[in-house]
Amino acid sequence: MTTPAATAPLRRDGLGWYLYGVAAADEASARLGAGLAAGAVQGIDLVAEGPLVGVTSRVSLQEFAEPALPERLRDTTWLEQMIRTHEQVLERVLEDASVVPCRFCSVYRSEAELRRFLSERREVLQAALDRVRGRVEVGVKAFIDRDRFAAGRARQNEDVRQQETQVSSAEGGRAYLERRRFEQLVASELERFRGEAADRLHTRLLAAAEDGLALPLQAPELSGREEEMVFNGAYLVTADRGAFEQALASLGRDFRDDGVELELTGPWPAYNFVPEELGAE
Amino acid sequence: MSMSEQQTLRQQVTLIELVDRVLNKGVVVSGDITLSVAGVDLVYVGLRVLLSSVATLEEPRERISATGATP
Repeated sequence: MTTPAATAPLRRDGLGWYLYGVAAADEASARLGAGLAAGAVQGIDLVAEGPLVGVTSRVSLQEFAEPALPERLRDTTWLEQMIRTHEQVLERVLEDASVVPCRFCSVYRSEAELRRFLSERREVLQAALDRVRGRVEVGVKAFIDRDRFAAGRARQNEDVRQQETQVSSAEGGRAYLERRRFEQLVASELERFRGEAADRLHTRLLAAAEDGLALPLQAPELSGREEEMVFNGAYLVTADRGAFEQALASLGRDFRDDGVELELTGPWPAYNFVPEELGAE
Repeated sequence: MSMSEQQTLRQQVTLIELVDRVLNKGVVVSGDITLSVAGVDLVYVGLRVLLSSVATLEEPRERISATGATP
């Protein structure tokens, strides 16, 4: 394990400690330390303080301190690289050790401040580590294809089927009105279905997980998909994920006729299952 | 859409997943420098710009294959 003092470059005053996350020393020191020493991830310093290890990199304070940071955040190339690095470091740690992820851009100006954080917040950090030990976070999103939903409803629901028949038999202006009525009927069915589907998905997935929460839906321009998102959830699952993936596959089959597609992401460090604030001492 | 464009799009989608976690979740430490709410907003503004440039690559739209449970 490297101590920051041993690797401190010449311009020590200009460098701070970027904290990616916190791991347990008993897990992190052996396997992870060996992996990092072998050069698996460049430029990572493990700062051990009692039973905890801070996973850090030395960064330029000029780059991260005001007033440079807001300017940097507008640079999407820099930003994307930083966000990906943050995640890659934590994913590397996650291969060998449990980790409490820290939020993007958590930087200490001095090693003493970093060590004080690790030692003063030891109990809450250990409790957070115990909760995520042997577990990972996965994300589940559900998207609905409106056309496939309408087709599925026409098969299952008498009102929708009749209205669909009206549309195909009507002509001229009448056809337009029938088409409008059909679309309204599908829209109201979809409105009801959205909530039901989200509830059913979350209940079944939660039963197969250690913990879970429903997250806000992502806006279409951010989700990167044309279909409407109807559910977005995060789950804390055992590292093997067997039971959870079975539940997910079964839900995928159940919802297929409704035009719903499920998307699994992860494994992630347990971002959604660590305390946001560590609380007062 | 070409393979490389699909690849780009998928990477962007993953980036959003990342951003939602890395920026909004995880422990807020009592660091000397931490990102303010205004800083987080700036990040999202930047990302929208990034993604809208990807969206123009997207025509004609095609489905991104899911990595999830549906066969």
